[in-house]
Amino acid sequence: MALTGRAGLLALIGVLVVGLLLPSWQGILLMLAVLAICVAVDLVLAAGVRRLTFVRAGASSVRTGELCTVQLTVRNPGRRLRGVLRDAWAPSAGVVSDRVAVDVPAGGSRTLSFELRPVRRGDRVSDRVTVRSVGPLGIAARQGSHVVPWTVRALPPFHSRRHLPPLLERLRELDGRRASLIRGAGTEFDSLRAYVIGDDVRSIDWRASARSSDVVVRTWRPERDRQVTIVLDTARTAAGRVQGALGGLPRLDTSMDAALLLSALASHARDQVDFLAFSHKVRASVPRATLPVLVQAMAPLEAELVEFDARGAVAEVLRRAGRRSLVVLLTSLEPSIEHGLLPVLPLLAARHRLLIASVSDPALHAMAAGRGDLESVYAAAAAERTLAERRRLTALLARHGVDVVDALPDELPRALADRYLSLKAAGKL
Amino acid sequence: MTAVSPDAGRVWTAARGPVLIGVIILFAAVVITLLRGGGEGGSLDPRSYLPEGSHAVAALLERNGVHVEPTDDVSSVEGATLFVTHPTLIDPKRLADLSRRAAATVLLAPPTGKSRLKVETRQPECPLAAKAGQATAGGFVYDGEQRCYDSTLVRTGTVTTIGFSSIFTNRDLDEEGNAALALAVLGQHDRLIWYMPSAADRSQQKSFTDLIPDGWKFGAWQLGIAAVVIALWRARRLGRVVTEPLPVVVRAAETVEGRARLYRRSHASEHAASVLRQAARDRLAPLLGLPVGEDPSAEIARRTSRSAADVRTLLYDDDMPVDDRGLVALADELDALENEVRKG
Repeated sequence: MALTGRAGLLALIGVLVVGLLLPSWQGILLMLAVLAICVAVDLVLAAGVRRLTFVRAGASSVRTGELCTVQLTVRNPGRRLRGVLRDAWAPSAGVVSDRVAVDVPAGGSRTLSFELRPVRRGDRVSDRVTVRSVGPLGIAARQGSHVVPWTVRALPPFHSRRHLPPLLERLRELDGRRASLIRGAGTEFDSLRAYVIGDDVRSIDWRASARSSDVVVRTWRPERDRQVTIVLDTARTAAGRVQGALGGLPRLDTSMDAALLLSALASHARDQVDFLAFSHKVRASVPRATLPVLVQAMAPLEAELVEFDARGAVAEVLRRAGRRSLVVLLTSLEPSIEHGLLPVLPLLAARHRLLIASVSDPALHAMAAGRGDLESVYAAAAAERTLAERRRLTALLARHGVDVVDALPDELPRALADRYLSLKAAGKL
Repeated sequence: MTAVSPDAGRVWTAARGPVLIGVIILFAAVVITLLRGGGEGGSLDPRSYLPEGSHAVAALLERNGVHVEPTDDVSSVEGATLFVTHPTLIDPKRLADLSRRAAATVLLAPPTGKSRLKVETRQPECPLAAKAGQATAGGFVYDGEQRCYDSTLVRTGTVTTIGFSSIFTNRDLDEEGNAALALAVLGQHDRLIWYMPSAADRSQQKSFTDLIPDGWKFGAWQLGIAAVVIALWRARRLGRVVTEPLPVVVRAAETVEGRARLYRRSHASEHAASVLRQAARDRLAPLLGLPVGEDPSAEIARRTSRSAADVRTLLYDDDMPVDDRGLVALADELDALENEVRKG
């Protein structure tokens, strides 16, 4: 049961009646009785809420920050239903307006639309649907809730997709380099074509030229069908928030963005992408990933407050990747790598090429540049120590033949994709 | 950049108008209070020397052996004359009770008169005031057993009712037979209780609720009920509050900040200095084209005006004790050196 504003208004009119006409306890009792009767009449005549049935339809996934619509159909088997309906969602589902006025005729149904703009990645579930059915006098209402489950998966926003066109352009250049400057190992013979001025004379295929009337050059194309295994670290260090252009995001979200850009690029380059999210156990695994499958797999991932199990991750990668592949580990350069990853690195490096991508913290660089007072200088010393540690780790990893991309959150996706392209161009996959 | 917080001048410009008005009001209030103050006692007060006061009558009565007790709260009236200056301010029941107990009662101008007469010199025309003769009389006309001065002074039993106050005031006491009349009326017994009831008389106070009309009282109750109904309307939620587990917010730089605080608390200035030197060396080496770890002093000396020994002291002398102030200076010196190398 619920009262409405009219009940309050009726009680206020009662003030005039009691004050001017019936200044006595009887007057007050009379007004109370009138109010009680009106409320009772409304409650009896209002449409029942319990017997309503609901059906949902509409979007089940949406990119974080974008608008989607979820429909809710109300079927009313009883009397005509008038009132308010609230479709409650968790706050981060970002419902634009969760309450609407409803008017469903007896035995009829209505379809209501609710717009959602999720502000946070992950599965956003609906809470209860609450209906307040107002009686004919509009003084009191019946109220009740129904559970109508629905989940909208807020996908990673993939902000770095704007970098994709220029990267694809570069990839095509790589493809079209044909008689190229680079003829290293790993580049594959593509086709023969007539020589044009500007082609490297070293790429002229003399034997083919002899057979034809033109001078013919060999063209090359980048290697294809290589395997790229992306390992996403979802453990402790991924939870740390790093300030970027889009506000303070966990490292995990930046790493995901980089992983998405890399996999989009790699699948355009016809490489096979395997995705693995790992903390102390496998959180998500997508073999032969395509972008839609990948974003679906990434959406519910959250950082966990556990230590990254490097040994387990390496074992898992070795188990899956049959042939030589590029293993991209998205993690953070922290001293714990030394004890966790380094001992098992030779196992991995023996069969695969490892690339570590790490989100660096702009706050660290700002602190390192602090001068003037004692506090800033101590902060600078602390930051410098951390930066020195990272440099040492990078050098240590480089000695083991590991590539390291350590970039600010806004630059990491692009930097990682560039590194991948240069590795591809050099035929090092 | 423009400062948006107001300065003192702007605050004064904005506030001087209201401040000026406030000062004027305060000044006027003080002046008015000073001008009006000093005049103690109101009209018909036996302690007041003002024209409207009655000190002269009281003095005359005292000289004739009548003890005058000015009061605003009567307790015992037995055997005394009760003079009520403002009968309207007393509860009628209480007034009747008092006048029954008093030996004589004089009421001044109760509003029970039939009509009004002009205040002027009148003849007594009754034995009661024969001795006094002419007096400045007038005001309300009353009914009574004995009537004087055209029924503006009447007596019924022990109660004397007078329609005019002129005979008691300092201003008019010396006119005609006023003084004799006042003495005759007030000097009936040895004791005179000069009762000047005030509006705040405790004996006739009613409680606040007694004074409010019923309509307002019950209206207020109904208003309370309306408030409860409105509160019920507003308090009812449309469905429950939705909770949501949120991820922990950990800033990645927090551990570094913690370490900085530890340095500071333990005054680890030498350790901090060595870290800053190491960082400067690591940055300088690639700038000079040297492998990391090699001593860049000689190369720096070659490019800048500094001597190799000075540079080496700045970059390497970790043994030299550094205090907190020295640490800040060292950081600046290292920056200066790096800038020189970058430019040179």
